[in-house]
Amino acid sequence: MRYTRRGLLAGAAAGALAATGIYEAVDRLATSPRRADALGLPPEQHLLDLRVVHDDGIAVLVPPLHHQLVTARVRASDLVSAQHELEEALADLDARFPSTPAGLGVTVAWGLPYFERRVAAAWAKHAPFDRRAGKHALLPAIRFPSDPHDTVLEQNEVAVLLRSDSLDNVSAGAKRLFDELDVFEPTSIRKGFAGGGFEGRQSLPKRMAMTANVPGADLIPDTAELFLGFTSTQRANLGPGRIANLETLGYTDAAGGYFHGGTHMHVSHIFEDLEAWYLNFDFQQRVDTTFRPGLRARRDAQTVAQGPARVTDTNEVERDFRRRGRIGHSSSIQSTSRLERDTLGPDGTVYRKGTAIPQRADFNTLDNPFFWGPRGVDREPSAGVHFVVFNPSSDDFHRNRLAMDGVLPNGTRLPLEPGSRAQGLNSVLHTTHRQNFLVPPRQHRSFPLAEL
Amino acid sequence: MTRVVTLVSLLALALGLTACSGDPGAGAGVVKAKPKCLDRAGWQRLANRIHAPVYCPGWMPDPLDGEIGGRWNNINSVSRDRSYLIGFIWFERGSGELHVNLRGYPGRTAIPRCPGDVGKNKVPCFADPHGHVRANGIDATVYTVNQGADQWHVLLAWHRGRSLYALSQHVAAPLTYRGVVADLKRMLRSLTVVSPRS
Repeated sequence: MRYTRRGLLAGAAAGALAATGIYEAVDRLATSPRRADALGLPPEQHLLDLRVVHDDGIAVLVPPLHHQLVTARVRASDLVSAQHELEEALADLDARFPSTPAGLGVTVAWGLPYFERRVAAAWAKHAPFDRRAGKHALLPAIRFPSDPHDTVLEQNEVAVLLRSDSLDNVSAGAKRLFDELDVFEPTSIRKGFAGGGFEGRQSLPKRMAMTANVPGADLIPDTAELFLGFTSTQRANLGPGRIANLETLGYTDAAGGYFHGGTHMHVSHIFEDLEAWYLNFDFQQRVDTTFRPGLRARRDAQTVAQGPARVTDTNEVERDFRRRGRIGHSSSIQSTSRLERDTLGPDGTVYRKGTAIPQRADFNTLDNPFFWGPRGVDREPSAGVHFVVFNPSSDDFHRNRLAMDGVLPNGTRLPLEPGSRAQGLNSVLHTTHRQNFLVPPRQHRSFPLAEL
Repeated sequence: MTRVVTLVSLLALALGLTACSGDPGAGAGVVKAKPKCLDRAGWQRLANRIHAPVYCPGWMPDPLDGEIGGRWNNINSVSRDRSYLIGFIWFERGSGELHVNLRGYPGRTAIPRCPGDVGKNKVPCFADPHGHVRANGIDATVYTVNQGADQWHVLLAWHRGRSLYALSQHVAAPLTYRGVVADLKRMLRSLTVVSPRS
């Protein structure tokens, strides 16, 4: 199979929602991992129970194989009716599919344009406030220092994330929410996949990249979980349980309010230049820039320990930069993404110092930059990632992303030129789109605040 | 007479098979054409100049012609330690680029060190080995991360006697990694050794 057709495809979204394109190959190339039964629906929409495997003795979460994210604007004018219709459709999906990777995970997130245009009065009253930042918990997306000047800051009203090991389940979910309902008008459809070769087989990203014949595909390590070669879904790298909820760490005032049990979701699309990565950075340099400068890793290791004991603080990031002239992706982010002290959540859970806060749901893609868009998309496959992450607030995400560019939480700005090799990973990434969303708790997932 | 006809037929068949496979070296019993240096005089002058054998290409991707001093030869450099770098480049705006380097380090087998990407550290000029390519009596290691004039190239390096030799090609449009590796294999098969004449 070779997918090299270049062309600008537009047309109606309806066909694209169920169309599989190159992603049909995911089902052909991968077998679905064994999954546990659902434990019932949690109040949160964004939580999904994932299987744990061990790679090089390190616990790794196995994400769902298929991902689809659909952004849209609201078509309905009667929001209360639309709220009932959408909730009925979501409840129908809950009844048909367990909320697990074997079934279907559905997360409905809402953008600032929805809250400010459609439910402005209620939003003014109930919008969660980030006390630490002194700002609303949901902020407009911004461009970061290493972003190109043309990164699009999107204005979608809603985003729906569908996750499953079954492409049929994802298609059924998309059809139910966007074909059978008339409340949304899609603005983009984004598709992709995840899954490492943890059992020693050639991984899905490697096989998909080879199938699509994207430049640099041959250089991806055979069992890599991601196009860039390293495992990123280590359990210690991802926030546990409800830590990314708006209210858990007390950053926002959401506790006990309308959005209690909700979270924040950032979505971006990033092109990855695989040839630049694998032809310009040797293995040690890839370790240096992905994790921490000078970190010792077994030659060709893909899963590198990232537990709380190995967390890097701001001083160490600065010291590494002064000594070695570069920063690591993980180590710089850890200065803001890990807990600085033991923290007690409102449900009595103790989160230990060094625990990761963000819960990532990113997935590899061959979209260019989207699978479908109303003005057309380029169907020449291109390696990239649809980056999806849950944080307690926009500001919390922004802190993490700024640290990745050398803007540290203590105010230090390391002198890194945008796109320079000293930034390592960033020099091979090109962010095309960004947006922040609020994920309400399950109870208010459908047209939040419309009933008020 | 019959035997002659049979021999001719077999030869034709062998040549036909070779053409179909696209690999001049494939197939047992196939008559292999002896590699022929593209610019015998030029490479002879280089061998004489460094007092050591050099490898002359018998094939290069079109339009590169292997002629030292020719229109596509952009680098012709010999250092005080007698190591050499001969580069060929073709570039056309909108179409792409072809860039091939041939190197030799007489009397040394260690991989040289080059300035690093950040800071003042030095790094191996050829790194990240990705297996071997064997052809034409040469066992070459494939290196994917290379420095200096070989940056963003895939590079083959091998030893002959007590010397190190390298052949590299830039991964740039219109070629991808796979295409470059195919070109390098073909160039490797085409190399001939040109020894110095005193």
